Amino acid sequence: MATLEWATLTVCCAALLLRVPDAVKGRNRTVFGILLLATLCSALAVSELYAAIDGVLGGRHVTSLILRYLVFATVLLVGLRITRGLAASREYSLIAGWPGRWALALCCLAVTVTFLLMDTTGAPAGLQTLSGTGEGNTALASYYTAAGRSYPAFVSLILVPPLLAAARSRKPRLVRAGALLVFLGAVFAVLSFPVSLAPASWAGGLRFVNYAAVLGYVSGLAVFWFSGLIANTSGNAKATFSNNGD
Amino acid sequence: MPLPAKAFQLWLHSVAPTASTADICRISGIKRTTLAQQLVRGKVSESTLVSISRALKRSPLDDLASFDSFAGLAEQPQLPTPAELVSQIATMDLLRAVISRSSPAYGGFGDHGSALTPPLSAAPHATSVRNWVDAIDDGELRHRVSAATGVAPQNYSAQLTANRLAPELAVATSRAAGVGFTGGLVATGLLTEAEAGWTPAAKQAALDALSDGELTALAGERLQSLGRTLRRQEQEHEQTKKIWENLG
Repeated sequence: MATLEWATLTVCCAALLLRVPDAVKGRNRTVFGILLLATLCSALAVSELYAAIDGVLGGRHVTSLILRYLVFATVLLVGLRITRGLAASREYSLIAGWPGRWALALCCLAVTVTFLLMDTTGAPAGLQTLSGTGEGNTALASYYTAAGRSYPAFVSLILVPPLLAAARSRKPRLVRAGALLVFLGAVFAVLSFPVSLAPASWAGGLRFVNYAAVLGYVSGLAVFWFSGLIANTSGNAKATFSNNGD
Repeated sequence: MPLPAKAFQLWLHSVAPTASTADICRISGIKRTTLAQQLVRGKVSESTLVSISRALKRSPLDDLASFDSFAGLAEQPQLPTPAELVSQIATMDLLRAVISRSSPAYGGFGDHGSALTPPLSAAPHATSVRNWVDAIDDGELRHRVSAATGVAPQNYSAQLTANRLAPELAVATSRAAGVGFTGGLVATGLLTEAEAGWTPAAKQAALDALSDGELTALAGERLQSLGRTLRRQEQEHEQTKKIWENLG
Protein backbone atom coordinates (compact mmCIF):
# COMPACT_ATOMS: atom_id res chain seq x y z
CA MET A 1 0.00 0.00 0.00
CA ALA A 2 2.97 2.27 0.54
CA THR A 3 3.59 2.45 -3.23
CA LEU A 4 0.71 4.93 -3.65
CA GLU A 5 2.29 7.27 -1.09
CA TRP A 6 5.74 7.05 -2.63
CA ALA A 7 4.31 7.51 -6.14
CA THR A 8 2.50 10.67 -5.04
CA LEU A 9 5.65 12.00 -3.40
CA THR A 10 7.64 11.26 -6.57
CA VAL A 11 5.12 13.07 -8.79
CA CYS A 12 5.11 16.07 -6.45
CA CYS A 13 8.91 16.19 -6.36
CA ALA A 14 9.09 15.95 -10.15
CA ALA A 15 6.56 18.78 -10.61
CA LEU A 16 8.45 20.85 -8.02
CA LEU A 17 11.82 20.33 -9.72
CA LEU A 18 10.30 21.28 -13.10
CA ARG A 19 9.28 24.62 -11.63
CA VAL A 20 12.63 25.45 -10.03
CA PRO A 21 14.06 27.40 -13.04
CA ASP A 22 10.90 29.52 -13.31
CA ALA A 23 10.87 30.17 -9.56
CA VAL A 24 14.52 31.31 -9.69
CA LYS A 25 13.58 33.72 -12.48
CA GLY A 26 10.75 35.01 -10.29
CA ARG A 27 7.94 33.79 -12.55
CA ASN A 28 4.78 32.59 -10.79
CA ARG A 29 6.42 31.87 -7.45
CA THR A 30 3.01 31.17 -5.92
CA VAL A 31 2.64 28.03 -8.02
CA PHE A 32 6.10 26.98 -6.86
CA GLY A 33 4.97 27.58 -3.30
CA ILE A 34 1.87 25.47 -3.88
CA LEU A 35 3.97 22.62 -5.23
CA LEU A 36 6.47 22.98 -2.35
CA LEU A 37 3.63 22.70 0.18
CA ALA A 38 2.10 19.78 -1.74
CA THR A 39 5.47 18.01 -1.71
CA LEU A 40 5.82 18.59 2.04
CA CYS A 41 2.31 17.22 2.60
CA SER A 42 2.92 14.12 0.54
CA ALA A 43 6.27 13.61 2.31
CA LEU A 44 4.48 13.68 5.67
CA ALA A 45 1.91 11.23 4.29
CA VAL A 46 4.63 8.59 3.89
CA SER A 47 4.55 6.52 7.09
CA GLU A 48 8.34 6.17 7.47
CA LEU A 49 8.99 9.90 7.06
CA TYR A 50 6.04 10.72 9.30
CA ALA A 51 7.37 8.50 12.08
CA ALA A 52 10.83 10.03 11.81
CA ILE A 53 9.57 13.61 11.97
CA ASP A 54 7.06 12.87 14.70
CA GLY A 55 9.83 11.30 16.74
CA VAL A 56 11.73 14.59 16.60
CA LEU A 57 8.58 16.51 17.62
CA GLY A 58 8.00 14.41 20.73
CA GLY A 59 5.99 11.49 19.40
CA ARG A 60 2.57 12.94 20.35
CA HIS A 61 1.32 13.04 16.74
CA VAL A 62 1.48 16.84 16.58
CA THR A 63 2.89 16.19 13.09
CA SER A 64 -0.53 14.97 12.04
CA LEU A 65 -2.08 18.27 13.10
CA ILE A 66 0.67 20.21 11.30
CA LEU A 67 0.02 18.12 8.18
CA ARG A 68 -3.67 19.10 8.27
CA TYR A 69 -2.77 22.79 8.51
CA LEU A 70 -0.29 22.46 5.66
CA VAL A 71 -2.99 20.81 3.51
CA PHE A 72 -5.39 23.68 4.29
CA ALA A 73 -2.75 26.27 3.32
CA THR A 74 -2.02 24.45 0.05
CA VAL A 75 -5.69 24.17 -0.81
CA LEU A 76 -6.29 27.85 -0.05
CA LEU A 77 -3.44 28.92 -2.35
CA VAL A 78 -4.55 26.51 -5.10
CA GLY A 79 -8.13 27.76 -4.89
CA LEU A 80 -7.13 31.42 -5.11
CA ARG A 81 -4.71 30.83 -7.95
CA ILE A 82 -7.04 28.67 -10.06
CA THR A 83 -10.06 30.96 -9.67
CA ARG A 84 -7.91 33.91 -10.68
CA GLY A 85 -6.42 32.02 -13.63
CA LEU A 86 -9.85 30.95 -14.88
CA ALA A 87 -11.20 34.50 -14.36
CA ALA A 88 -13.91 33.07 -12.08
CA SER A 89 -14.45 36.19 -9.97
CA ARG A 90 -17.54 34.86 -8.16
CA GLU A 91 -15.72 31.72 -7.10
CA TYR A 92 -12.66 33.77 -6.14
CA SER A 93 -14.71 35.92 -3.78
CA LEU A 94 -16.32 32.77 -2.33
CA ILE A 95 -12.88 31.48 -1.34
CA ALA A 96 -11.20 34.79 -0.46
CA GLY A 97 -14.28 36.52 0.98
CA TRP A 98 -16.11 35.94 4.24
CA PRO A 99 -17.64 32.52 3.34
CA GLY A 100 -14.17 31.15 2.64
CA ARG A 101 -12.68 32.72 5.77
CA TRP A 102 -15.43 31.34 7.99
CA ALA A 103 -15.07 27.90 6.39
CA LEU A 104 -11.31 27.95 6.96
CA ALA A 105 -11.71 29.09 10.58
CA LEU A 106 -14.36 26.47 11.34
CA CYS A 107 -12.39 23.68 9.70
CA CYS A 108 -9.22 24.64 11.62
CA LEU A 109 -11.23 24.73 14.85
CA ALA A 110 -12.82 21.33 14.14
CA VAL A 111 -9.45 19.75 13.41
CA THR A 112 -7.84 21.22 16.54
CA VAL A 113 -10.72 20.29 18.87
CA THR A 114 -11.04 16.71 17.63
CA PHE A 115 -7.26 16.34 17.87
CA LEU A 116 -7.16 17.57 21.46
CA LEU A 117 -10.07 15.32 22.47
CA MET A 118 -8.40 12.25 21.03
CA ASP A 119 -6.15 9.92 22.98
CA THR A 120 -3.25 9.68 20.57
CA THR A 121 -0.72 7.75 22.60
CA GLY A 122 0.56 4.69 20.80
CA ALA A 123 -1.45 5.31 17.65
CA PRO A 124 0.11 4.27 14.33
CA ALA A 125 1.54 6.79 11.89
CA GLY A 126 -0.97 9.17 10.38
CA LEU A 127 -3.64 8.34 12.98
CA GLN A 128 -5.49 6.33 10.37
CA THR A 129 -6.65 3.68 12.83
CA LEU A 130 -6.98 4.00 16.56
CA SER A 131 -7.96 0.40 17.12
CA GLY A 132 -8.27 -0.96 20.62
CA THR A 133 -8.53 2.38 22.34
CA GLY A 134 -12.26 2.41 22.89
CA GLU A 135 -15.43 3.06 20.93
CA GLY A 136 -15.48 6.83 21.48
CA ASN A 137 -11.91 7.30 20.42
CA THR A 138 -12.47 5.45 17.12
CA ALA A 139 -15.45 7.68 16.35
CA LEU A 140 -13.36 10.75 17.22
CA ALA A 141 -10.61 9.54 14.89
CA SER A 142 -12.99 9.36 11.95
CA TYR A 143 -14.36 12.82 12.82
CA TYR A 144 -10.79 14.09 12.93
CA THR A 145 -10.15 12.61 9.48
CA ALA A 146 -13.37 14.14 8.15
CA ALA A 147 -12.47 17.55 9.59
CA GLY A 148 -9.14 17.30 7.79
CA ARG A 149 -10.97 16.72 4.49
CA SER A 150 -13.65 19.37 5.03
CA TYR A 151 -11.81 22.48 3.86
CA PRO A 152 -10.25 20.81 0.75
CA ALA A 153 -13.73 19.50 -0.10
CA PHE A 154 -15.22 22.99 0.33
CA VAL A 155 -12.66 24.67 -1.97
CA SER A 156 -12.79 21.84 -4.51
CA LEU A 157 -16.57 22.03 -4.68
CA ILE A 158 -16.26 25.72 -5.59
CA LEU A 159 -13.61 24.93 -8.20
CA VAL A 160 -15.60 22.20 -9.98
CA PRO A 161 -17.90 24.38 -12.20
CA PRO A 162 -15.22 26.74 -13.61
CA LEU A 163 -12.84 23.83 -14.19
CA LEU A 164 -15.53 21.87 -16.02
CA ALA A 165 -16.32 24.92 -18.16
CA ALA A 166 -12.62 25.32 -19.00
CA ALA A 167 -12.27 21.64 -19.89
CA ARG A 168 -15.27 21.86 -22.24
CA SER A 169 -14.21 25.13 -23.88
CA ARG A 170 -12.35 25.58 -27.16
CA LYS A 171 -9.05 26.43 -25.55
CA PRO A 172 -5.86 24.65 -26.71
CA ARG A 173 -5.98 20.91 -26.08
CA LEU A 174 -3.27 20.80 -23.43
CA VAL A 175 -4.93 23.58 -21.44
CA ARG A 176 -8.19 21.62 -21.52
CA ALA A 177 -6.32 18.46 -20.51
CA GLY A 178 -4.80 20.33 -17.54
CA ALA A 179 -8.22 21.65 -16.54
CA LEU A 180 -9.64 18.13 -16.81
CA LEU A 181 -6.92 16.70 -14.55
CA VAL A 182 -7.44 19.40 -11.92
CA PHE A 183 -11.20 18.83 -12.27
CA LEU A 184 -10.72 15.10 -11.53
CA GLY A 185 -8.53 16.01 -8.57
CA ALA A 186 -11.24 18.35 -7.28
CA VAL A 187 -13.93 15.69 -7.69
CA PHE A 188 -11.83 13.19 -5.70
CA ALA A 189 -11.14 15.83 -3.05
CA VAL A 190 -14.89 16.43 -2.70
CA LEU A 191 -15.52 12.67 -2.53
CA SER A 192 -12.89 12.21 0.19
CA PHE A 193 -15.11 14.05 2.67
CA PRO A 194 -18.06 11.60 2.66
CA VAL A 195 -15.71 8.64 2.25
CA SER A 196 -13.80 9.63 5.41
CA LEU A 197 -17.01 9.15 7.43
CA ALA A 198 -17.62 5.71 5.92
CA PRO A 199 -16.97 2.53 7.94
CA ALA A 200 -13.39 1.49 8.62
CA SER A 201 -13.55 -1.30 6.01
CA TRP A 202 -13.43 1.45 3.39
CA ALA A 203 -9.99 2.61 4.50
CA GLY A 204 -8.42 1.49 1.22
CA GLY A 205 -10.97 3.52 -0.74
CA LEU A 206 -10.26 6.58 1.37
CA ARG A 207 -6.53 6.33 0.72
CA PHE A 208 -7.12 5.92 -3.01
CA VAL A 209 -9.43 8.93 -3.16
CA ASN A 210 -6.95 11.07 -1.21
CA TYR A 211 -3.99 10.31 -3.40
CA ALA A 212 -6.03 10.55 -6.59
CA ALA A 213 -7.02 14.07 -5.53
CA VAL A 214 -3.40 15.11 -4.92
CA LEU A 215 -2.24 13.49 -8.15
CA GLY A 216 -5.02 15.20 -10.13
CA TYR A 217 -4.18 18.65 -8.79
CA VAL A 218 -0.41 18.35 -9.13
CA SER A 219 -0.39 16.73 -12.58
CA GLY A 220 -2.98 19.28 -13.79
CA LEU A 221 -0.73 22.14 -12.67
CA ALA A 222 2.22 20.47 -14.41
CA VAL A 223 0.19 20.17 -17.65
CA PHE A 224 -0.82 23.88 -17.44
CA TRP A 225 2.84 24.74 -17.05
CA PHE A 226 3.85 22.55 -19.98
CA SER A 227 1.11 23.93 -22.26
CA GLY A 228 2.30 27.46 -21.55
CA LEU A 229 5.88 26.43 -22.24
CA ILE A 230 5.24 24.98 -25.70
CA ALA A 231 2.79 27.75 -26.65
CA ASN A 232 5.40 30.44 -26.01
CA THR A 233 7.64 28.95 -28.67
CA SER A 234 5.06 28.13 -31.35
CA GLY A 235 2.67 31.06 -30.82
CA ASN A 236 -0.42 29.06 -31.75
CA ALA A 237 -4.02 29.67 -30.64
CA LYS A 238 -4.06 33.15 -32.15
CA ALA A 239 -7.19 34.48 -33.80
CA THR A 240 -6.10 35.62 -37.22
CA PHE A 241 -7.54 35.68 -40.72
CA SER A 242 -4.98 33.14 -41.88
CA ASN A 243 -6.07 30.73 -39.15
CA ASN A 244 -9.60 30.92 -40.49
CA GLY A 245 -8.89 29.83 -44.01
CA ASP A 246 -9.42 31.91 -47.13
CA MET B 1 -22.44 5.18 -42.44
CA PRO B 2 -19.48 4.68 -44.78
CA LEU B 3 -19.33 2.14 -47.60
CA PRO B 4 -19.58 -1.57 -46.70
CA ALA B 5 -16.19 -3.26 -47.12
CA LYS B 6 -17.64 -6.18 -49.06
CA ALA B 7 -19.20 -3.96 -51.72
CA PHE B 8 -16.00 -1.91 -51.79
CA GLN B 9 -13.87 -4.97 -52.48
CA LEU B 10 -16.25 -6.10 -55.23
CA TRP B 11 -15.96 -2.67 -56.79
CA LEU B 12 -12.17 -2.65 -56.43
CA HIS B 13 -11.94 -6.05 -58.09
CA SER B 14 -14.09 -4.91 -61.00
CA VAL B 15 -12.16 -1.69 -61.66
CA ALA B 16 -8.62 -2.97 -60.99
CA PRO B 17 -8.68 -6.78 -61.18
CA THR B 18 -4.91 -7.19 -61.39
CA ALA B 19 -3.72 -4.57 -58.89
CA SER B 20 -2.60 -5.65 -55.43
CA THR B 21 -3.55 -3.75 -52.30
CA ALA B 22 0.01 -2.40 -52.16
CA ASP B 23 -0.30 -1.06 -55.73
CA ILE B 24 -3.62 0.58 -54.94
CA CYS B 25 -2.20 2.26 -51.85
CA ARG B 26 0.90 3.44 -53.72
CA ILE B 27 -0.95 5.07 -56.62
CA SER B 28 -3.70 6.60 -54.49
CA GLY B 29 -1.48 7.81 -51.64
CA ILE B 30 -3.52 6.04 -48.96
CA LYS B 31 -1.56 4.56 -46.07
CA ARG B 32 -1.66 0.75 -46.16
CA THR B 33 -2.52 0.61 -42.46
CA THR B 34 -5.45 2.99 -42.99
CA LEU B 35 -6.97 0.90 -45.77
CA ALA B 36 -6.34 -2.36 -43.89
CA GLN B 37 -8.02 -0.95 -40.81
CA GLN B 38 -11.05 0.24 -42.77
CA LEU B 39 -11.40 -3.19 -44.42
CA VAL B 40 -11.09 -5.02 -41.09
CA ARG B 41 -13.73 -2.80 -39.53
CA GLY B 42 -16.00 -3.45 -42.50
CA LYS B 43 -16.45 0.25 -43.27
CA VAL B 44 -14.50 2.02 -45.98
CA SER B 45 -14.64 5.79 -46.00
CA GLU B 46 -15.91 7.59 -49.08
CA SER B 47 -12.72 9.61 -49.34
CA THR B 48 -10.76 6.36 -49.73
CA LEU B 49 -12.95 5.39 -52.66
CA VAL B 50 -12.61 8.85 -54.22
CA SER B 51 -8.80 8.80 -53.88
CA ILE B 52 -8.58 5.38 -55.55
CA SER B 53 -11.03 6.37 -58.26
CA ARG B 54 -9.01 9.52 -58.95
CA ALA B 55 -5.76 7.58 -59.08
CA LEU B 56 -7.28 5.15 -61.60
CA LYS B 57 -8.37 8.14 -63.73
CA ARG B 58 -12.02 7.16 -63.32
CA SER B 59 -14.97 9.37 -62.39
CA PRO B 60 -15.31 9.49 -58.57
CA LEU B 61 -18.93 10.62 -58.95
CA ASP B 62 -19.91 7.60 -61.05
CA ASP B 63 -17.99 5.25 -58.77
CA LEU B 64 -19.71 6.65 -55.68
CA ALA B 65 -23.05 6.25 -57.46
CA SER B 66 -22.35 2.54 -57.98
CA PHE B 67 -22.87 1.99 -54.24
CA ASP B 68 -26.35 1.45 -52.84
CA SER B 69 -26.19 4.34 -50.33
CA PHE B 70 -25.34 6.76 -53.14
CA ALA B 71 -27.63 5.28 -55.79
CA GLY B 72 -29.17 7.92 -58.02
CA LEU B 73 -26.22 10.25 -57.55
CA ALA B 74 -25.29 10.36 -61.21
CA GLU B 75 -28.66 9.44 -62.75
CA GLN B 76 -30.17 12.87 -63.09
CA PRO B 77 -27.30 15.32 -63.14
CA GLN B 78 -29.02 18.31 -61.64
CA LEU B 79 -26.79 21.37 -61.82
CA PRO B 80 -26.16 23.44 -58.69
CA THR B 81 -28.38 26.47 -58.16
CA PRO B 82 -26.81 29.96 -58.37
CA ALA B 83 -27.16 30.30 -54.60
CA GLU B 84 -25.22 27.05 -54.09
CA LEU B 85 -22.52 28.23 -56.48
CA VAL B 86 -22.18 31.57 -54.70
CA SER B 87 -22.02 29.80 -51.34
CA GLN B 88 -18.86 28.05 -52.55
CA ILE B 89 -17.06 31.35 -53.19
CA ALA B 90 -14.64 32.18 -50.38
CA THR B 91 -15.40 35.25 -48.26
CA MET B 92 -12.19 36.98 -49.34
CA ASP B 93 -13.09 36.41 -53.01
CA LEU B 94 -16.48 38.03 -52.38
CA LEU B 95 -14.75 41.02 -50.80
CA ARG B 96 -12.37 41.22 -53.77
CA ALA B 97 -15.41 41.24 -56.07
CA VAL B 98 -16.89 44.12 -54.04
CA ILE B 99 -13.68 46.11 -54.46
CA SER B 100 -13.33 45.38 -58.15
CA ARG B 101 -16.88 46.70 -58.67
CA SER B 102 -16.06 49.89 -56.75
CA SER B 103 -14.94 53.12 -58.37
CA PRO B 104 -11.35 53.38 -59.68
CA ALA B 105 -10.50 55.70 -56.77
CA TYR B 106 -10.74 52.65 -54.47
CA GLY B 107 -8.84 50.29 -56.73
CA GLY B 108 -11.86 48.97 -58.67
CA PHE B 109 -13.07 49.02 -62.24
CA GLY B 110 -16.45 50.67 -61.71
CA ASP B 111 -19.24 49.45 -63.98
CA HIS B 112 -16.94 47.01 -65.79
CA GLY B 113 -15.97 45.39 -62.49
CA SER B 114 -18.13 42.27 -62.85
CA ALA B 115 -16.16 41.11 -65.85
CA LEU B 116 -12.82 41.94 -64.28
CA THR B 117 -13.09 40.25 -60.86
CA PRO B 118 -9.94 38.33 -59.93
CA PRO B 119 -10.02 34.56 -60.51
CA LEU B 120 -11.86 32.67 -57.76
CA SER B 121 -10.11 30.11 -55.56
CA ALA B 122 -11.32 26.51 -55.78
CA ALA B 123 -13.98 25.14 -53.42
CA PRO B 124 -14.12 24.21 -50.57
CA HIS B 125 -13.32 27.26 -48.44
CA ALA B 126 -13.11 27.75 -44.66
CA THR B 127 -16.88 27.94 -44.05
CA SER B 128 -18.14 26.28 -47.23
CA VAL B 129 -20.27 23.61 -45.52
CA ARG B 130 -22.31 26.01 -43.38
CA ASN B 131 -22.63 28.50 -46.25
CA TRP B 132 -23.88 25.74 -48.54
CA VAL B 133 -26.55 24.59 -46.05
CA ASP B 134 -27.57 28.21 -45.43
CA ALA B 135 -27.88 28.73 -49.19
CA ILE B 136 -30.38 25.88 -49.65
CA ASP B 137 -32.14 26.18 -46.26
CA ASP B 138 -35.80 27.18 -46.40
CA GLY B 139 -35.99 27.35 -42.60
CA GLU B 140 -37.11 23.77 -42.04
CA LEU B 141 -34.26 21.94 -43.77
CA ARG B 142 -32.37 20.94 -40.62
CA HIS B 143 -35.52 19.38 -39.12
CA ARG B 144 -36.22 17.42 -42.29
CA VAL B 145 -32.64 16.12 -42.49
CA SER B 146 -32.67 15.09 -38.85
CA ALA B 147 -36.06 13.39 -39.28
CA ALA B 148 -34.88 11.55 -42.41
CA THR B 149 -31.49 10.42 -41.06
CA GLY B 150 -32.03 10.21 -37.30
CA VAL B 151 -29.05 12.48 -36.66
CA ALA B 152 -29.69 14.83 -33.73
CA PRO B 153 -29.94 18.52 -34.75
CA GLN B 154 -27.14 19.52 -32.36
CA ASN B 155 -24.79 16.90 -33.87
CA TYR B 156 -25.66 18.19 -37.33
CA SER B 157 -24.94 21.78 -36.26
CA ALA B 158 -21.66 20.71 -34.64
CA GLN B 159 -20.54 19.23 -37.96
CA LEU B 160 -21.45 22.44 -39.80
CA THR B 161 -19.50 24.52 -37.27
CA ALA B 162 -16.47 22.31 -37.75
CA ASN B 163 -16.88 22.74 -41.55
CA ARG B 164 -17.46 19.00 -41.91
CA LEU B 165 -20.40 16.90 -43.05
CA ALA B 166 -20.47 13.15 -43.51
CA PRO B 167 -21.03 12.39 -47.22
CA GLU B 168 -24.29 10.49 -46.67
CA LEU B 169 -25.55 13.43 -44.57
CA ALA B 170 -24.57 15.81 -47.37
CA VAL B 171 -26.58 13.71 -49.84
CA ALA B 172 -29.51 13.51 -47.41
CA THR B 173 -29.37 17.30 -47.06
CA SER B 174 -29.46 17.74 -50.85
CA ARG B 175 -32.38 15.33 -51.08
CA ALA B 176 -34.31 17.12 -48.32
CA ALA B 177 -33.72 20.47 -50.02
CA GLY B 178 -34.57 19.17 -53.47
CA VAL B 179 -31.30 20.32 -55.05
CA GLY B 180 -28.62 18.45 -57.00
CA PHE B 181 -26.57 15.89 -55.08
CA THR B 182 -23.17 17.34 -55.95
CA GLY B 183 -23.38 20.60 -53.97
CA GLY B 184 -22.75 19.01 -50.59
CA LEU B 185 -20.02 16.74 -51.87
CA VAL B 186 -18.16 19.73 -53.29
CA ALA B 187 -18.76 21.84 -50.16
CA THR B 188 -17.29 19.11 -47.95
CA GLY B 189 -14.30 18.76 -50.26
CA LEU B 190 -15.01 15.13 -51.16
CA LEU B 191 -15.25 15.98 -54.87
CA THR B 192 -13.70 18.83 -56.80
CA GLU B 193 -15.95 21.11 -58.82
CA ALA B 194 -14.80 19.52 -62.06
CA GLU B 195 -15.42 15.99 -60.76
CA ALA B 196 -18.94 17.04 -59.78
CA GLY B 197 -19.58 18.16 -63.34
CA TRP B 198 -19.62 21.87 -62.61
CA THR B 199 -18.41 23.98 -65.50
CA PRO B 200 -15.23 25.96 -64.73
CA ALA B 201 -16.93 29.32 -65.19
CA ALA B 202 -20.14 28.45 -63.28
CA LYS B 203 -19.13 30.07 -59.97
CA GLN B 204 -17.84 33.18 -61.72
CA ALA B 205 -21.04 33.48 -63.74
CA ALA B 206 -23.17 33.16 -60.61
CA LEU B 207 -21.06 35.85 -58.93
CA ASP B 208 -21.32 38.19 -61.91
CA ALA B 209 -25.10 37.71 -61.94
CA LEU B 210 -25.40 39.11 -58.40
CA SER B 211 -26.48 42.71 -58.27
CA ASP B 212 -24.31 45.14 -56.32
CA GLY B 213 -26.87 45.13 -53.51
CA GLU B 214 -27.01 41.31 -53.29
CA LEU B 215 -23.23 41.02 -53.39
CA THR B 216 -22.72 43.66 -50.71
CA ALA B 217 -25.35 42.17 -48.39
CA LEU B 218 -23.87 38.69 -48.81
CA ALA B 219 -20.31 39.89 -48.23
CA GLY B 220 -21.54 41.76 -45.16
CA GLU B 221 -23.16 38.63 -43.72
CA ARG B 222 -20.00 36.65 -44.30
CA LEU B 223 -17.85 39.35 -42.69
CA GLN B 224 -20.13 39.48 -39.67
CA SER B 225 -19.96 35.76 -39.06
CA LEU B 226 -16.18 35.78 -39.59
CA GLY B 227 -16.01 38.63 -37.09
CA ARG B 228 -17.97 36.57 -34.54
CA THR B 229 -15.64 33.61 -35.03
CA LEU B 230 -12.57 35.80 -34.63
CA ARG B 231 -13.99 37.54 -31.55
CA ARG B 232 -14.70 34.19 -29.92
CA GLN B 233 -11.19 32.97 -30.68
CA GLU B 234 -9.72 36.19 -29.29
CA GLN B 235 -11.70 35.76 -26.08
CA GLU B 236 -10.57 32.16 -25.72
CA HIS B 237 -7.02 33.32 -26.35
CA GLU B 238 -7.27 36.01 -23.67
CA GLN B 239 -8.62 33.47 -21.19
CA THR B 240 -5.86 31.01 -22.07
CA LYS B 241 -3.23 33.71 -21.58
CA LYS B 242 -4.69 34.44 -18.17
CA ILE B 243 -4.43 30.77 -17.23
CA TRP B 244 -0.78 30.74 -18.25
CA GLU B 245 -0.05 33.97 -16.39
CA ASN B 246 -1.50 32.57 -13.16
CA LEU B 247 -0.83 28.86 -13.37
CA GLY B 248 1.83 28.35 -16.04
